Amino acid sequence: MKISYNATAQLVIALIVILVVSILINNLTLNLIKTGLGFNFSWLFRPASFALAEHPLPYSPSDSYAWALFIGWLNSLKVIFYSLLLSTLIGTCFGLFRIGKNALLRLVSAGYIAIIRQTPLLLQLMFWYFVAILGIKKSIISPMGNLLSISNQGINLLGVTLSAEFTSLLLGLSVFTSAYIAEVIRGGINSVNKGQWESFRSLGLEESIGLYKIIIPQALPAILPGLTSQYLNLAKNSTLAIAVGYSDIYAINDTIINQTGRPIEAFIILLLSFLFLNLFISNGMEVLNSMVTRSTKL
Amino acid sequence: MGNSYNYIKYIKRVAFSNALDSIISLTILSFGISALVNLFKWLVFSANWSVVSLNLPLYLFGSFPGDQLWRPGLWISLFAIFSFITLWGPRWSWLRKSLPFLWVSYAPLGIFLLAGGFGLSAVESQNWGGLTLTILLTSCSAIVSLPLGIALALGRQSTLPVIKNLSSIYIDTMRSLPLIAVLFFGQLLIPLFLPVGLEINRVSRAIIAFTLFVSAYIAEDVRGGLQSMPKTQKEAGEVLGLHPFQITYLIILPQALRIALPSLTNQAVGLLQNTSLMAILGLVELLGVGRSILANPEFIGRYIEVYIWLAAIYWIVCTVMALIARHLEQQMTLDKKDF
Repeated sequence: MKISYNATAQLVIALIVILVVSILINNLTLNLIKTGLGFNFSWLFRPASFALAEHPLPYSPSDSYAWALFIGWLNSLKVIFYSLLLSTLIGTCFGLFRIGKNALLRLVSAGYIAIIRQTPLLLQLMFWYFVAILGIKKSIISPMGNLLSISNQGINLLGVTLSAEFTSLLLGLSVFTSAYIAEVIRGGINSVNKGQWESFRSLGLEESIGLYKIIIPQALPAILPGLTSQYLNLAKNSTLAIAVGYSDIYAINDTIINQTGRPIEAFIILLLSFLFLNLFISNGMEVLNSMVTRSTKL
Repeated sequence: MGNSYNYIKYIKRVAFSNALDSIISLTILSFGISALVNLFKWLVFSANWSVVSLNLPLYLFGSFPGDQLWRPGLWISLFAIFSFITLWGPRWSWLRKSLPFLWVSYAPLGIFLLAGGFGLSAVESQNWGGLTLTILLTSCSAIVSLPLGIALALGRQSTLPVIKNLSSIYIDTMRSLPLIAVLFFGQLLIPLFLPVGLEINRVSRAIIAFTLFVSAYIAEDVRGGLQSMPKTQKEAGEVLGLHPFQITYLIILPQALRIALPSLTNQAVGLLQNTSLMAILGLVELLGVGRSILANPEFIGRYIEVYIWLAAIYWIVCTVMALIARHLEQQMTLDKKDF
């Protein structure tokens, strides 16, 4: 009797969902017929005819839309990868400052986290782009001679030129994510039993050695899941690139929609790209996680 | 004498315990003080705040008709008053008990005050803007996505495979998408999914998109709370002869929501910050107002003043929300002690 009740409930819900989805698809079809757009992907292989300021692989406006999308993909991956490294570095520093002995460092770190976390990322990105990079008055600032020069055209670091758009996106994303990572690191380290600190101190180990050899290995299993979700957020937030004019996958999708008037197809491509990207990051972190848990078990 | 000696000892311990520590502390002190002095000098003497002071109504209310400004004004003041009562208000029990209802009715009241009807003159949604629109987007999306998120979380925990899988697919797909893509979907694609001829305004489309997005995140937070419930709670309910629905609504859900509260309030603060994304999708909420003012030739190039001013508003509103959240958490743990 109970089984049949459950089966009926499921059947009813499945029917409702199917009904709603088919009504939506029906509406969509009618609307597409009305606007005369139809639904196909053949436009992907027509020339894109827009220029891209940044392309890691050769690209010209006569290349296809599909190639432009692929370039956008690479641009996204590039900024995600470097922001991931930079935000982990900054976040770890502030996380350690936050629990350190020095009260001034603790204060600075708490202030940093409070300011960054309580203001919108988009506003911060605009600040980096329009004020910090484009607002540079002097033509070139070189604090370290030929190694590093900063201008409103971007940054030149060890002979590698980073555009103003890339630099502001990189800095904005890294600084924003680092405040969250700092909290993850702090939480992870605080989760380690206080007795562990006392025991390495009583063995006469130095603070820094004890931190790296005793505390951090035990904190890592608690830190990694939090870190993974911050990395996933970072990847998703990188789509705000459009606000500073960096051609990532979303910005290129947007341009393509404006040119071709095919929002449905472009949206499906965007959806698939992000499903894939999420799988990629969470699987990567899963591998890291299994490596860490294995090494602490040994 | 002895007191000041302890004070010096304390400072020495927390900031000057060894050479490296002292160097770090002195560097921070010197840089920090000079930075603060320069910031103060700039804020008071160099900055030109006319871009803020001349446009104050725009930042708060957007282009709401001038003779009707009391409506959004009243609504925003209510936010401040409710927050104040929640945080520092008197401990009268009738007031405390009505606070949840006041907060729940806040969003519908906002729609009524802004849109008009029932005796108030109608105002088109194109004229809503500024901080008012930011708070409207936040409160409306929050109030709809909370029940939706709870339903999805319960669905994902369900033993019925169809319900479980449908909820999981929805939650996982939504969580893998960037918010801007969902909002874009809301602005451009929702009209395509509606029956031919039916149109809904941009603000409603934004609220629908935010609701679809946030409910997936709320679902995962609530699921965390549900999973941390010990099995014995359910068994205790069964022993009392309660129906499964009663067990969920009377025993499991209230406790799970209490556990999920800190992450839920983080979602609310995140939601408020994320409404700024609508600035690049054509709504003039707080950041959108800033952008349109910066596009005005009269104020061109006044980026720093506008951005600092906007950051200050967002910071204050978010901090107030975080304070309310912490206050609620403390109250909940006090409740626990009574048991």
